[in-house]
Amino acid sequence: MRDLIIKTISKVFEVPTAQINDDSSPRTTASWDSLNHMKLILALEEEFGIMFSDEQIIELLTVRKIIAALENLVAEAGMYR
Amino acid sequence: MRQSCKKKDRCVGERQDGLLSGVSGGIGFMDYQNINYADIQEAVSAEKYRTLPPLRLSILRNVTLEAIEPYLKYLAIQEGFRAEIGFGEYAGMFSEAAGGAPHLLNKDTHCVIVFLHLETISGDLVHNLAGLSSERVEEEKQRVKGYVGGVLAGIRRQTAATILWHSFEMPVYPALGIADYQSENYQMAVIAELNSFLRQALRDAGQAYYVEMNTCLARIGSRNFYDKRYWHIGRAPYSRAACREIAWEDFKFIRAALGRNKKCLILDCDNTLWGGIVGEDGLAGIKLGLTYPGSMYREFQQEILNLYHRGIILALCSKNNQDDILEVFRNHPDMVLKEEHIATYRINWEDKVTNIRQIAEDLNIMLDSMVFVDDSDFEIGLVRQMLPEVKTILLPAGKSVEYREILASSGLFDMLTISAEDRERGAMYRAETKRKKLATIYTDMDSYYKSLEMEVVIRMADDFSIPRISQLTKKTNQFNLTTRRYSELEVKEMANQTDVDVLYLALSDLFGDSGIVGVAILRYRDEEALIDSFLLSCRILGREVENVFLSHCLKLARFRGSRSVIGQYLATSKNMQVKDFFPRRGFRVVEEDEQKSKAIYDFLKPDYSIPTFFKSVKSDVDDLMEKLGK
Repeated sequence: MRDLIIKTISKVFEVPTAQINDDSSPRTTASWDSLNHMKLILALEEEFGIMFSDEQIIELLTVRKIIAALENLVAEAGMYR
Repeated sequence: MRQSCKKKDRCVGERQDGLLSGVSGGIGFMDYQNINYADIQEAVSAEKYRTLPPLRLSILRNVTLEAIEPYLKYLAIQEGFRAEIGFGEYAGMFSEAAGGAPHLLNKDTHCVIVFLHLETISGDLVHNLAGLSSERVEEEKQRVKGYVGGVLAGIRRQTAATILWHSFEMPVYPALGIADYQSENYQMAVIAELNSFLRQALRDAGQAYYVEMNTCLARIGSRNFYDKRYWHIGRAPYSRAACREIAWEDFKFIRAALGRNKKCLILDCDNTLWGGIVGEDGLAGIKLGLTYPGSMYREFQQEILNLYHRGIILALCSKNNQDDILEVFRNHPDMVLKEEHIATYRINWEDKVTNIRQIAEDLNIMLDSMVFVDDSDFEIGLVRQMLPEVKTILLPAGKSVEYREILASSGLFDMLTISAEDRERGAMYRAETKRKKLATIYTDMDSYYKSLEMEVVIRMADDFSIPRISQLTKKTNQFNLTTRRYSELEVKEMANQTDVDVLYLALSDLFGDSGIVGVAILRYRDEEALIDSFLLSCRILGREVENVFLSHCLKLARFRGSRSVIGQYLATSKNMQVKDFFPRRGFRVVEEDEQKSKAIYDFLKPDYSIPTFFKSVKSDVDDLMEKLGK
């Protein structure tokens, strides 16, 4: 699941997967601006079949937080292995 | 979820396939629905598409809408273009229209796409209508109309590009609840009025089109259409599903404006037009009728008939005994499609690739303007591989309930406007088959031509003919010397210029009226006339109409004081047949290479004679010369 998240981030931000780690954030990744953040959220929601809340959307500004939030949502949905 | 993941994997595979065939064949709506956002974004940034010709789209908006960009780029690739998309500022529409954004609005812009979100421009009409006095409502309406008119005029001043303007969305929960539906003065009616104003304003602007947001909304439903989270976080009202749907709708317009809309539908018969196999189940055994399951096929046929009335040519391609199929067309009481709707058919046991090629030859149209529909993935696969120019639609087995929607949602045949010629096209092609039969009776061509009683009319372009003239410049490929495409607005501008003549030719005969089938554009400079465009619809080729038309063009050029006429030929992959058109008619070649040639007619021995077999030739050129005493 982590790999898939990183891969999605890499596609949306057009950055190689090797340059993305848990601490990546808008500070470390030039293409992570507010518009691309929106595109990332849309892509992740589609990829994992979940919905973030509006509060999550504005808080998920590191890869670590994104992974944690996704793991929770997917576990809640209880449908992904 | 597990199930949907599996589905997704499969869809990714389909996407690859769709992309591979994309540049030639394009993607179906059903596949497009299933591609995921990250994959689209990745696909559109692929290196191999960087060399495609640019399609410059400028988006003016008062909401955040960047999420639509990958979809537009993706669909552009399907048409063989690399979209260059520019966005206006979030709050800048009016000043951009007033001239503040020449990078978005200029002569190279292909298409301007406008999203004027009502909630942003008039919060009062959207949120507070119940609290407004009728005077305030009126004021707000006028203000919005003024804004629309101002922006539209400003865009048009700066560019002749096609304009696509998205309508105002109807409220899902209107301001006055169920009472709203009852009154002319409440929210639904107010927004409907703004939309009809918009529609009219766009019509007046020329080459500007109203894109109905409410059908996009209805198709996916408001709960999927709006993403309230991003509306509040970032003023982005539309979900990705909405962006996908809207981009698809926009591309119907763009495809049509590019002249890429399809002209001919080739149909399989068994398990396509009816359920079952007529050769085995017999005339009475096939599923076709007013009740289930036959009603599914009847509904599908209704949609096809609808296309016929919009000017789409229908053909049959079926592996069958011809008599079995014709019997269904002639004698089955529930057939919606009749023999008279079918322009030509190939019903035999040969492979469909050969048959489709022959149908293209019969109808004298290009493979890339055809769509082939079949329920067999074998046949579809074969055609996809062997004739990649032909667009294919696979009707999945067991999903007959969806056949109508699959065809209707494709948007492949959509045209910007539907002319009188379009509505009559089916009858014209039928007449052509009758002409061909008549031709077999005569041994010499002249007496055959004479028997057709052809009447030619040549006129200067006017308001009635301009839409058709533009349409012909956009879609004529074979008998077209220069293949210059002109929008209605451009034709209108040329027609108004004093140093340009825009002529059209209309033809009718024993079997019917073909309408406007030829266009010639002459530009004058000093004592020289340039034939900027010269084209004829392929439907009427082989009747020497081109000689009449050229002769009148030469006469006109002479009358306008030209000492020489320049004929150009610009080669495309489709217009080989007219390569030597001018040299064969007394023009002297002065330049020639692979791509183009130039030939001059110098009136040393002017010859305006035309074949004698036309019943009548009426021409503005003759009238003009007579009136001015020449």
